[in-house]
Parts: sequence; C-alpha cells; structure tokens
Amino acid sequence: MFARLANGNAARNGAIEGQRTMLGRTMHGIDYDHLHDEIVVPQQFGQAILVFKGSARGEEPPIRVIQGSKTMITAMDRLAVDPYNDEIYVPEGDRVLVFDRNANGNVAPKRVLGPGPGFTEAGSVAIDHTRNLVVVGASLRKPGDGGAAQLAIFDRTASGSASPKRVISGLKARLMDPGNMRVHPEGGYIFVVQQAGYIGVWSIDDNGEVPPRFTVGGPKGMLKKPRGLDIDPVHSAVIVSDKELNAVLTYEVPQVFRQTSTASGGR
Amino acid sequence: MRRTWLRGLLVGAFSVGLMLISGHPSYHAAESQFPNGRLVRMDALPKMDPEICLVPSAVQRAERASAIVAQRQREGLPFGPETTIIAGDPNRRIRDNYPAFAAIAVDPDRNEVTVTDENLFQVLTYDRLENTPAGAEASKPKRVLSGDTTLIEFQSGLYLDPATGDLFAPNNDTVDTLVVFAQGGNGDIAPKRALHTPHGTFGIAVDEKRSEMFLTTQHDSTVVIFRKEADKDEAPLRLLQGDDTGLADPHGIAIDPRDDVFFVANYGSRALRRADQEIRTGVPGSGKGREKPHWPLGREYAVPGSGSHAEPSITIHALSAKGNDKPLGKIQGPKTQLNWPTGIAFDPDRRELFVANDMGPSILVFDANARGDAAPKRVLKGPKTKLANPTSVSLDRKNGELWVTNFGAHSATAYPIAAAGDVAPLRTIRAAPITAPSLMIGNPGALTYDSKRQEILVPN
Repeated sequence: MFARLANGNAARNGAIEGQRTMLGRTMHGIDYDHLHDEIVVPQQFGQAILVFKGSARGEEPPIRVIQGSKTMITAMDRLAVDPYNDEIYVPEGDRVLVFDRNANGNVAPKRVLGPGPGFTEAGSVAIDHTRNLVVVGASLRKPGDGGAAQLAIFDRTASGSASPKRVISGLKARLMDPGNMRVHPEGGYIFVVQQAGYIGVWSIDDNGEVPPRFTVGGPKGMLKKPRGLDIDPVHSAVIVSDKELNAVLTYEVPQVFRQTSTASGGR
Repeated sequence: MRRTWLRGLLVGAFSVGLMLISGHPSYHAAESQFPNGRLVRMDALPKMDPEICLVPSAVQRAERASAIVAQRQREGLPFGPETTIIAGDPNRRIRDNYPAFAAIAVDPDRNEVTVTDENLFQVLTYDRLENTPAGAEASKPKRVLSGDTTLIEFQSGLYLDPATGDLFAPNNDTVDTLVVFAQGGNGDIAPKRALHTPHGTFGIAVDEKRSEMFLTTQHDSTVVIFRKEADKDEAPLRLLQGDDTGLADPHGIAIDPRDDVFFVANYGSRALRRADQEIRTGVPGSGKGREKPHWPLGREYAVPGSGSHAEPSITIHALSAKGNDKPLGKIQGPKTQLNWPTGIAFDPDRRELFVANDMGPSILVFDANARGDAAPKRVLKGPKTKLANPTSVSLDRKNGELWVTNFGAHSATAYPIAAAGDVAPLRTIRAAPITAPSLMIGNPGALTYDSKRQEILVPN
C-alpha cells in the first residue's frame, strides 16, 4: 500500500500479508469497493474470492471468503466489484460468474454470462452501474478464424448465451489482448490495459472498428508491460502497474476526465 | 472449413473419447498419475485426414498463435486523428531502484555467494567474505548477469553445481525458462542452456547422484523432474501432481541424499486437476509444453470449486515419487511456526532442514525426522538478526555458515550454521543504502485505488 502521491523509492504504508490472510505472493487481481470500504482479491490457487476490510493490515484474515464446490470457480485471475448493485464479477474464459457481493462460504453464482456468442476468452471485466452495462475484455474465436481481441458490452444483468449489445473490435480498433479494465461512468469511458504498452480509452458507446479516443502512457512511452490499472477521477489520474519495470506509474490526464463520451457521441 | 468440420465432429462424436484416442500425451501421462476415476471408454475413430486429428486444446493453441500474429499487425497500425495520444512520462513513478534479493547459493570452494534479483532482473555474485560497511551505500558485486540475452527476469530459485560452479536459475513467470550459466559468467551473455519449464516454476534442487533436477511449480502444485542437463524443449522425466501428493502452492525444495527423500515448502492453497473432464477453454494453462509427457495439468483441467486452503506445510517425498504418490510425511501445525515458508535447504551432515520463513520473519530449523505438528529445534529470529522477509537459504558446510536473502531489506546475511535466537549476522551484503525502504513490488499484475485512504494497493 502506497500513498497516492508516493514517488520514487517511497516506503510502503502497509501490507496485508501472511498465512492467515489466505493470500499468497502470487496474486493477479484486486478491486476496492469504495461504498463499503472493502478490498476484494481473487485467490486463484485456492479458487477463492477473499474480502478484506478496507482498513485491514498485517496478517488480518478476510471477513468473507467465497470458495467451494458450488462456486463454479475454475481458473480466475481477475475480478470486479459493483458496489452499487452488490455484485462481484469473475471473468473465466468462456463465461463470467456473478456473485452476490455479500456471499460468504460455498455459494453458487447468482448468474453466469456465457458460454455464448459474445466471447470465448474473457480475461477482464468492468461495470458501468449508471448505464447498467458490463464490459467483458476478451477474445472471440470463430471457426477458421485466428480470433480477435474485443470489448464485448452486455446488459449488466445478461446471462447465459446472451449476445452483446455492442462489440469494439477489428483491425482499426487496434485492440490487443485486453488486460485489466476500469469504467469511468461519469465520463462514459472504458480504460483498458494494452499489452503494447499503453492504456487505451474507448467510449462506452463505441461500437465496431473504433480506435481508442485516447492512449495514456504510450505507445512508445515509459510503459513496458502494463498490467494493473485503476483510475482516480477526483485527481484525474490513471494509475498503472508495470511488471517489467516493477513499478507503479501515475498519469494525471485531466484532458481525458474532463470530457464525456456522451458529449462526443458514440461511434 | 476443415476446422469447422473438425469442431462438428468433436462435438458430435463427443470429445473426450476422441481426445484419448488421438494420443494427447497429457492424457496418457495423467492416466498413470491418477489411477482412480479416469475415463475408461475409448471409441475408435473413423478414417480421417491425419491433419484434422487435433485435440481441442491443440486447435485452441493454433488459433491463439494466429490471433497473436493478427494482434501484432494491429499493433503496428498508426493512430489517426481520432485518437489523442498522451505518451509522455508519468507524473509519479513508484519504483525500487535497488536489487531485491530473492534466491541465494553459496560457493565455498570459490569463496563466492550468488543471489538473484527479482526487481532489476539480475544475478549478482559477491565475494563470500564481503561485508558492507555501515556507512557504505552498497557492496559492489564481482559479476552481474543481466540483460535481454540472459533471459533473466523473475529468477525465484538458484542452484549452484558444487563441482563446476554452474548456476541454475528457474524463472517464476513471464519467461518460463530455466537458465544455466557457466561459472564465471558476466554481463549480458546467453545462458549455456535454456530449458523451457512449466509456468510458475519456483524452487530447484538437484539429485547429483542420479543427475536429476527437481522443480516446483506453484500454479499447478507439482514437482517436475528433468534430467540435470536438460535443455531447450526436453520433456520432464517424471511428474508429481495429484490430489494425494500434499503439494499446495509449493515453493522451496531440498534433497536429503542419504535417505533419498526431498522436502517441499507449501503455502497451502491449491485446486484439483482432472485429465478426464472437459477442458476449460480460454483460461491460462501450464505453459507451452502441454504436448509433452509428464507436463503438469494446467488450470484448463482444474476441477471447478475444488480449491482449498490448508495450513502451510513441509511435505517429504521419496526421490522416486511420481504421479499421485502420497508424501512420506508432513510437517504441519501451529507448533511449526510456518508462515509462508519459501526457500529451504538441507544439511546432510547435521541432519537438519532450514526454512526461510518469509512472514516469521525467521529461519526455522527442523530435525530431518520431524513430522506432524513438530516444533523447530532452533529458530533464528529477532531484531538483531536483521531478517526481513527471508525467501531463500543456502548452507556453507565447509565454513559452517548459513546464508539468507532478505527480500524485504535489499540484503543477504550470513550466520553461524548453528545460530539460534536473536543473533546478529556475521556479515551482511547490502545492495542499497541502509535507510532505503524496500518496496517489495515484485511482478505487479494488478492494482486498485483506495479512494477513502488515498492509497494505491498493489498485489504481487
């Protein structure tokens, strides 16, 4: 845990670590629920969702654990919390599992999106609670096709084999293996980690072969292997972790946050 | 078109039987590993073009490779006026500018000690008697292996061949390659061997008597055994993976050559695997070697909802263990003090097992025969020790010393091999000023922002 304004060789504010936390040193995802002040972490080795108090420090155990035979959790790496609708979304390949945020123990998902025509390799997910949308960062493989990275946008409550409302994909979209994502509902933007070394920003209203409205941190910037991502709209910041630099980089980009995709319209 | 037909066939004829008959080595390997609960039905295939005799996972991989090519083409497209590019430097960058020592190996014959650095992607060799003066910024290594040619990134383990001085270093992520460097290597040089390993490889131990190399893999809770001299795409000789093995997020590994056993340090988390269930599509697997025999079953074979967290443990296995063999014993329980046990080392003369207990922070020493909820016979712990997130131990039996890497303190520390309690190190090799905070950002795959506390949270 680092202070927002930490820079350089700054000391940590603290950490949640140790056996009782049920974490390991190989965690691949995390989300903060600002409404309920909770930290949610996927424990991929133990197929568990761990929920910690926002104030947790040291070897403090999780306050809730979703784990067990009913969960259907198989091979998750990331997740997203929707604090407004009390849900936790877990993308896993050809499906997205949706759990009650307050679930604890061996609990089945309240709904499952997929398998269906919208995606086959879901690796990340982000929620727009104001528009009631869920964005699935994925690839879609079709028979005879090499597959394509895409952002598939569904109704938030879609389930089963539902089709996406919109799909951002194609050569001109320049979308590559979408990594962690965040939605800024107020601005109507989707922020997507691009393995090519930047954060791509699309409008939530975009559809089809649409290039990003913005790129942050690249291409040909300092980022090498961006992975983690969050936004701090209050300070107009995009925060990125890079696994080659072993660093956390903060970009203040007011030009992104002062615009809204609604104003510019979908494409 | 051909693949379309294939998919129809696979669905229509029911895929699992087809997979078995089509000769997927993982299935056959797994068959011998898991004697119970395997699919037994095998249906003959109709005559068909050999080219289409692909298992679904192979189809997936082929398509994935094609997708990567397509994505690279996309990457090369210039942006048009619709895109505003903000490619300048960040306003802030949190980064540890100093090495974070992860694994360690002491070479008493050459009077050297070598460490891996998972922060700046290096392997550094120091004089064994180096002792950083209190006022000095850092000690200067004798040699540094670093650079793209070395293939060094997150080298989580280290083995030093006592006869040749060669260094073996497995990679925990990204590269999936164990690199071997000849003694004395320096700079951005190519490794003498580069073995493709399963994803998530962590610890390494070598059975010199049989010339076999043992590697733990975290992600799939396995131990894979290769020839010591294995190179490139060579397949493992054996695989230990299964419900009964006791392996659970395994880290360090050490061999007792007298009793022909090996020890494994386990964090305790795992999920089960089955080769006879439908392969889960679109999820990360166990690396690029899944066609090879004795390759771990990856997460595409995970049993949904089978995950569990047990107490941390040290499991003891026969050197010949394979398949789903049970451990010979286990050290586990509250008296053990195990808390994220990471690197381990065994002293065959003293008959003692040394454990780098990350969250102790401590070094726990167990008798070779310890089993169950056994208390360590010695514990090295306390403020004088300067232990900080110890992740690796190495034994210098010639000089009677114990070496430790402190991932949380930019340092390696040496102690008398029989040290117990709150004992100051004999010597300390520091790679950073003594006041420099250790950030411990290692392989940060995710982050989130706590808007209430205005903090950035980074899991590793």
